[in-house]
Amino acid sequence: MLDTPVTGKRQVARGMFVIGMHAPEIASAVRAGQFVNLGWSGGPILRRPFSVYRAEGEHIEVVLKAVGSGTGQMLAMEVGDRLSCLGPLGRGFEFGGGAREAVLVSGGLGVAPMLLAARDARVAGMKVTWVHGARTAAELCSEMDGDTVIWATDDGSQGTPGSAVAAAPDADLVIACGPNRMLAAAAERWPEAQVAVETYMGCGTGVCLGCAVPLKRGGYDRACKEGPVYRAADIDWDALPSHLPYAVVA
Amino acid sequence: MSTDMSVAVGGMKLRGPVLAASGTFGYGTEVPLLERRALGAMVSKGIFLRPREGTAPPRIAETPSGMLNAIGLQGPGADALVRDYAPQWAEWDFPVLVNINGESVSEYAELTSRLDGVPGVAGFEINISCPNVEQGGMFFGNDPRAAATVTEAVRKRTKLPVWVKLTPMVSDIGVIARAVESAGADALCAINTFVGMSIDLNAYRPRLSFRTGGLSGPAIRPLAVHLAHQAARAVRIPVIGIGGIARAEDALEFLVAGCTAVQVGTATFVNPKAIAEVHDGIASFLEARAFRSLADLPRYLPRD
Repeated sequence: MLDTPVTGKRQVARGMFVIGMHAPEIASAVRAGQFVNLGWSGGPILRRPFSVYRAEGEHIEVVLKAVGSGTGQMLAMEVGDRLSCLGPLGRGFEFGGGAREAVLVSGGLGVAPMLLAARDARVAGMKVTWVHGARTAAELCSEMDGDTVIWATDDGSQGTPGSAVAAAPDADLVIACGPNRMLAAAAERWPEAQVAVETYMGCGTGVCLGCAVPLKRGGYDRACKEGPVYRAADIDWDALPSHLPYAVVA
Repeated sequence: MSTDMSVAVGGMKLRGPVLAASGTFGYGTEVPLLERRALGAMVSKGIFLRPREGTAPPRIAETPSGMLNAIGLQGPGADALVRDYAPQWAEWDFPVLVNINGESVSEYAELTSRLDGVPGVAGFEINISCPNVEQGGMFFGNDPRAAATVTEAVRKRTKLPVWVKLTPMVSDIGVIARAVESAGADALCAINTFVGMSIDLNAYRPRLSFRTGGLSGPAIRPLAVHLAHQAARAVRIPVIGIGGIARAEDALEFLVAGCTAVQVGTATFVNPKAIAEVHDGIASFLEARAFRSLADLPRYLPRD
């Protein structure tokens, strides 16, 4: 658990911002798909989980939208304000399967783990196809990292009209993150995809059992511990809540 | 000169008065981040005889200064607890009590027999107050005869300390407290969560899939201090205060109100070091006022 200063803030899409913080231990250890649980003085009672967006040197970044009062408070923070940062938490994406190409499919805030995923895929010797979708052009994240880049918008204002899942090519390794409904569609097309799910989360450390993810084989496990990355076919998508005010990718 | 923080509570001598509340510390093995240094004792996540899946998500919802949860006592069952966790507990320098649950009196009894004598199991906290199970739980906690029957059944099957965790969802907690004291409880834990509900205005339905959940966190603290105080006035056995404790001052309120020890719960979710900070804060408070031991702290506990 680190007490860390906010070191920067920038906008990457309409309503979407990146916040940086000084967190050396986390920056050097974090893997794509892992998250941090952030709290702050005067903030809400529970911490807020965020995928780590970028990790460079002694700094990490997270990406967020103001979806509730908690994230609203975070966006009002200025450089030097303090965050309590717990992490890195959870199990990230696996890049050890020997695939030659990784397709990274994200919708909206689901872009959050993808810069690190691109980094880790390249380290594993893969080419990266970056597929990113949003409702409209203004909501596409302006930052990207891919040998090939594909855009998709619901209204067709930029790139392929329709969803990011529909716009993506097939590959040996597909990694997806976004709203749970998008991930359910990804699971139909690529049962072996690695997906990072969004859930409500309490502690982020495995003890509260609040972030239950329903499994196809029956029962639940914890997004914060066994997840948030899953093999797409392992999740019981019908039982996973699809609309969340904040989420591990938010 | 360090302050003597030890307490005798419900058949146990503990090194400190700050305990980990059931369901907020797992089985104590999950998280290296959790600070154990100052832990007086740990109460395990609630367990049933057999494995339970728990409730469907969403299971938690944040509320003003608190949270609702309906986990539904997800757990691996007694055999897994004995195999996977108890051997680790046996090595630790603080005692672990098991929070036991059942859908019937005989199930509580059978679970007690299964766990009694297992190295690592130092005592029992009978959960007659879980609001998130369809059968058992709170049903036993709001009827004095049922509460006493469960307590007796457990008492008969173990010589280890037996604590009983009470629900606040009663008209007179003193009646229940006296009933379980007479039935042989060594201590009372007051209180478990309040039943609450929160509505999702986008979906026009409750935010929790279980509809209702248990409310915890600072939101319930004054209610909890009052109920723990009422329980303490009703019985001679020790009362362990629970409800929204996040800082030393919160714990001290319960202690002055008549509690012998406290449990910290929801605060651990936010701050994995909460228990150690509460413990250290109590010690500093006592030291600053020149009390040599926690036993010297003045209590407000008028007897009727």
